[in-house]
Amino acid sequence: MVEYIIETNNLSKIYYNNTVVDSINMHVEKGKIYGLLGKNGAGKTTTMCMLLNLAYPTSGEIYLFGKNSKKYTKEIYSNIGSIIETPGFYENLTAYENLKIISKLRKDFYPQNINLVLEMVNLENSKSKKFKDFSLGMKQRLGIAAAIMHNPELLILDEPINGLDPFGIKEIRTLLKRLSHEYGITILISSHILSEIENIADVIGIMDNGILIEEIPKEELHNRLNKFVEFELSDGYRAVELLEKIGLKANKDFTITKEGIIHLYSNLEMRDKINALFVSAGIDVKKVNLCEENLEDFFTRFVSNN
Amino acid sequence: MITFIQMEFLKLKRSKIFLLSLMGAILPPLLMFIAVTAFDEGHSFEALFTNVNMYMSAMFAVLIFAIIISYLFGREYSEHTLKTMLTIPISREKFLISKYIMFLVWIVILTVVTSLSTLIFGFIAGLEGLTLKLIITSFSQLLLANVLLFLTFSPFVFISLLITNMVPAMVGGATLSLINIMVYGQNWAPFVPWVCPYLIASGEIAKYGANIMVSYGIILVTFLIGLAVSLYQKGCCNLKKVL
Repeated sequence: MVEYIIETNNLSKIYYNNTVVDSINMHVEKGKIYGLLGKNGAGKTTTMCMLLNLAYPTSGEIYLFGKNSKKYTKEIYSNIGSIIETPGFYENLTAYENLKIISKLRKDFYPQNINLVLEMVNLENSKSKKFKDFSLGMKQRLGIAAAIMHNPELLILDEPINGLDPFGIKEIRTLLKRLSHEYGITILISSHILSEIENIADVIGIMDNGILIEEIPKEELHNRLNKFVEFELSDGYRAVELLEKIGLKANKDFTITKEGIIHLYSNLEMRDKINALFVSAGIDVKKVNLCEENLEDFFTRFVSNN
Repeated sequence: MITFIQMEFLKLKRSKIFLLSLMGAILPPLLMFIAVTAFDEGHSFEALFTNVNMYMSAMFAVLIFAIIISYLFGREYSEHTLKTMLTIPISREKFLISKYIMFLVWIVILTVVTSLSTLIFGFIAGLEGLTLKLIITSFSQLLLANVLLFLTFSPFVFISLLITNMVPAMVGGATLSLINIMVYGQNWAPFVPWVCPYLIASGEIAKYGANIMVSYGIILVTFLIGLAVSLYQKGCCNLKKVL
């Protein structure tokens, strides 16, 4: 039986008659990385805040580790690490002192733990630097250090790679994958960088206008992405005539770009025959590619369809 | 709770506001020292202590306390640390109460600094009439006034949770200081929460013919209202403000 670390039941949040989160039923499996995908204002942060007890749901229930979050608050939340948007730390204190405050309040202060997590996020040389002197990337990494310092079973990370350079993004991605795969930590992560979600998540939840449209396992995602054949030809408009002659319809079975490149969406298995048709008609075929819709296009299409 | 208070102390490390508040606590003795040396305003320690206590608790303390409150409570919103703290998780009530205690400790520190600097400036000015009894009495008076004033500042906690910026606190504190000056000497001064602490502590309240218990009652009611609304505000924990 599948064990869910996060499960919500018709979870909703309404602010001043504005429904920000609308009856969502989220299922985050143990040990998996769940990527929450959605435009700005889709309700991702509010959902995460409700999961973290930072905002009270208007209606619905939250089950964390199989327990009702209202009844076992302390027990549950001491087992969660989180970052919500920009991590908040005391600006006049150093990285070490900030982590010390958090660990002391958690009642698990061990200096070696702090040093270890600072090392994990590559901040060991900046532990005596004041937080106000940190770059945005360093702040994000300190946020991750604070989130993982107490060895939580669940990480809830809202846009954790915000402000990181490509090298930093890769580091954090590797770290999160390691935490999930080696230590079995369940991770709920949101990001506006779709490729990042695609890279890291095992399951992708798509949110729009406060609604969780669908939860798609990554294996299934690739089956759902539209595939097409791209022809780069010497005479695109002549090719269109040929395609229409064999019964294919423009803007349905194929499209033509301004540059005369044809995208064929149906009858993909016939691409060799179509290629031969073009060649026999004297059209030079410069390139034939079997392409897959990228996640951004899929997301745009999926959200607008729903 | 002890850990909470220890952590509140740690949060003040390298804090400019803490240093500024100490400078603020030294300011009344310094001004009185200038008055004594430059304008020949009294030549006894007793007069110096009396004047310092009056200016401190009726004027400067109001402004300094408003800024401290705004910093202590508002920074958790403005530096986005509240969302980190609340997800630890910690009790919102404990968190709030530890800040109240920190505020009280801060006030005691300021009281000690004011009294000590008064003593030092008095020595530098070569004043006479210093006795141990005078030191203890003056310090006790200032401490009582400041602690009573602390109680009347709980509504400011609510305001600082509502408006996390420090500017309104500074404007509010300065306004309240001016109101205190205007009210001081008026018949109804014992009924103004931010004036009566000094009147009670100094014993001046007797001159007004008001019942001291009414003044204590006003201070207590102000404290309880402020505490209740600040606890409610913290309980609501407005998400938009947390973020």
